Amino acid sequence: MAANFWTSSHFKQLLDPEEVDVVHQQDKDKGITLEEFKLIKMHMANYIMKLAQNVKVRQRVVATAVTYMRRVYTRRSMSEYDPRLVAPTCLYLASKAEESTVQARLLVFYIKKLSSDEKYRYEIKDILEMEMKILEALNYYLVVFHPYRTLSPLLQDAGMNDMSMTQLSWGLVNDTYKMDLILTHPPYLIALACIYIASVYREKDITTWFEELRVDMNVVKNISMEILDFYENKMIADERISTAFLKLALKP
Amino acid sequence: MAIAGAGQLNLNESPCWGSRSVDCFEKLEQIGEGTYGQVYMAREIKTGEIVALKKIRMDNEREGFPITAIREIKILKKLHHENVIKLKEIVTSPGPEKDEQGRPDGNKYKGGIYMVFEYMDHDLTGLADRPGMRFSVPQIKCYMRQLLTGLHYCHVNQVLHRDIKGSNLLIDNEGNLKLADFGLARSFSNDHNANLTNRVITLWYRPPELLLGATKYGPAVDMWSVGCIFAELLHGKPIFPGKDEPEQLNKIFELCGAPDEVNWPGVSKIPWYNNFKPTRPMKRRLREVFRHFDRHALELLERMLTLDPSQRICAKDALDAEYFWTDPLPCDPKSLPKYESSHEFQTKKKRQQQRQHEENAKRQKLQHPQPHARLPPIQQSGQAHAQMRPGPNPPLHGSQPPVATGPGHHYGKPRGPAGGPGRYPANGTSGGYNHPNRGGQGGGGGYSSGPYPPQGRGPPYGSSGMPGAGPRGGGGSGYGVGAPNYSQGGPYGSSGAGRGSNMMGGNRNQQYGWQQ
Repeated sequence: MAANFWTSSHFKQLLDPEEVDVVHQQDKDKGITLEEFKLIKMHMANYIMKLAQNVKVRQRVVATAVTYMRRVYTRRSMSEYDPRLVAPTCLYLASKAEESTVQARLLVFYIKKLSSDEKYRYEIKDILEMEMKILEALNYYLVVFHPYRTLSPLLQDAGMNDMSMTQLSWGLVNDTYKMDLILTHPPYLIALACIYIASVYREKDITTWFEELRVDMNVVKNISMEILDFYENKMIADERISTAFLKLALKP
Repeated sequence: MAIAGAGQLNLNESPCWGSRSVDCFEKLEQIGEGTYGQVYMAREIKTGEIVALKKIRMDNEREGFPITAIREIKILKKLHHENVIKLKEIVTSPGPEKDEQGRPDGNKYKGGIYMVFEYMDHDLTGLADRPGMRFSVPQIKCYMRQLLTGLHYCHVNQVLHRDIKGSNLLIDNEGNLKLADFGLARSFSNDHNANLTNRVITLWYRPPELLLGATKYGPAVDMWSVGCIFAELLHGKPIFPGKDEPEQLNKIFELCGAPDEVNWPGVSKIPWYNNFKPTRPMKRRLREVFRHFDRHALELLERMLTLDPSQRICAKDALDAEYFWTDPLPCDPKSLPKYESSHEFQTKKKRQQQRQHEENAKRQKLQHPQPHARLPPIQQSGQAHAQMRPGPNPPLHGSQPPVATGPGHHYGKPRGPAGGPGRYPANGTSGGYNHPNRGGQGGGGGYSSGPYPPQGRGPPYGSSGMPGAGPRGGGGSGYGVGAPNYSQGGPYGSSGAGRGSNMMGGNRNQQYGWQQ
């Protein structure tokens, strides 16, 4: 994406983690816990990824779609905005915003193909209606900056742009979308955190390189810790997702 | 969201997200009509501020929110510059439909979404076409410099405008010029590796590389359009009024010479080069044709209208050109005269009445057809529209749905070649007055964009019923050069009946812009 991150709405809208980790009252009333809230968002990020693989769009579209979805849930409740509709709609909108348009028809086809669960089966009409609501929830701010763009130049600068490091750190960046990091940290710091983890994992010492960068290493390390915590807790039991969705289905 | 105190309502805070209702604005009058829908002049009730509301029409959309609107919003949200139109906000109109629970159903959005822009009084084309309007040199320099400054900003931010033309350059009464209508704009990467569509930019302002089918291109495409506008300002009329792609290229080659591997390395690899390469040698005649221009102006124009996009001057270098730094210097925008604001849409009725009157007169004259007093004979091609703008009764875009331009010349392009030939039609069949169809259509203000649905603007001179090719049948290069390759029966050549048909090619005709 063009333009300057520092003047972007993305930068201006960076949130504190405390603002992101708020379960909306309506969802809370149904017994949704913060953990479940996060779990559903992660599950939906995976769902978007799976859909995207089928309709064949670039990773950046996925990343933008997930970001939209996460932004929506900082402002709207899951009770009102069913994640199973929001997720594909975000992909639909992101495909337009990232110039890789996917036809609604095609998307609906794969939605039905991917899931036998009735609750996932939405029609074109539903997606188009939800699209408008999402646009409004996003306040029409559609430009998202991602860590991918800075990743390669940074790796190159660090002299670590070999295949294995690139793949590892790229994969780590992909995984950061299973968290809310993109809402709370500037993309270049997320990229650096991923490089940091990758370098530690591959036992490469790039301390001096990091020092020369003059970034706040504490922030980088904090982000890295968040990512590592995530990997530790990643035990996602399908039942836990189902439980969460059952709660959401409760009538208030 | 601001938190209201206990017992209070958040009436005055605008929410940080979500959108306000269009009810915050009082629509004053319709001032335009675009792809998306209507453009209104409106007053914000709370502040009294005058704005332009551009409706995004949602019906007939099979793919939801139009991608053109997404592009425009995305791009405008990140561009903040004094020479780029400011998108203030987006508002929705709460539709009347509610479901049983009283919640708005999905159709609420069919009620409409509006982009709220700062209000601008004119657009460049509209201003230039005002009766008796003649721009001074400092004025032209002032507009050109603002145009280039705004465009440079876009290009630095990796945005291609892709529809630079007079009617998309809005001007306010403080003399400020702003780029508008980003409906065709998109981001680009510096490596120019992405394949982009070449069906962009209004035909008359479209650069040769796009006409030759290039799909990898960059900011140079906009600079060509700027060159066309620059020449138009100095020349008094559009310099490449082609009616379709082949004719457009031919007009370009006649003035700028034919491209070859010497003046444009790599040109022979562009997809359609072999289809369009001229059959005879053509020399560059720009300096000769525009020899009456100021030396520095000509120098700059030469570098803008360079065939090879890689050698074409960029916005930044253009701003450094001698032209802007020699006497007379560009004037201060604020020093420019203020013009009465008027919009095509408002004056439409007036003109229709006038036209009616003229047509009645014409009918009478038809009884005794006489040669048009001003109209040049066919062979005198160059003169065809020479008198139009500076004349005492210049056309206001005077567009006619060009008959000869079937769908063929803009393919499926969503926005149509708004630059149909309609802008300065020779009133071949008309009587002794200059312009029967002073409809002032065309152009399309910067707030609007795209293919305009037929508005039933009728055939202003359809009633003449004079069959056969009009006097301009031969087309004409506009420079007094021969036009050997033009097919007969040029844009206005056909019969009156044909003119009336509001075919796609007449898109330009339907743009109710911000011109007067």
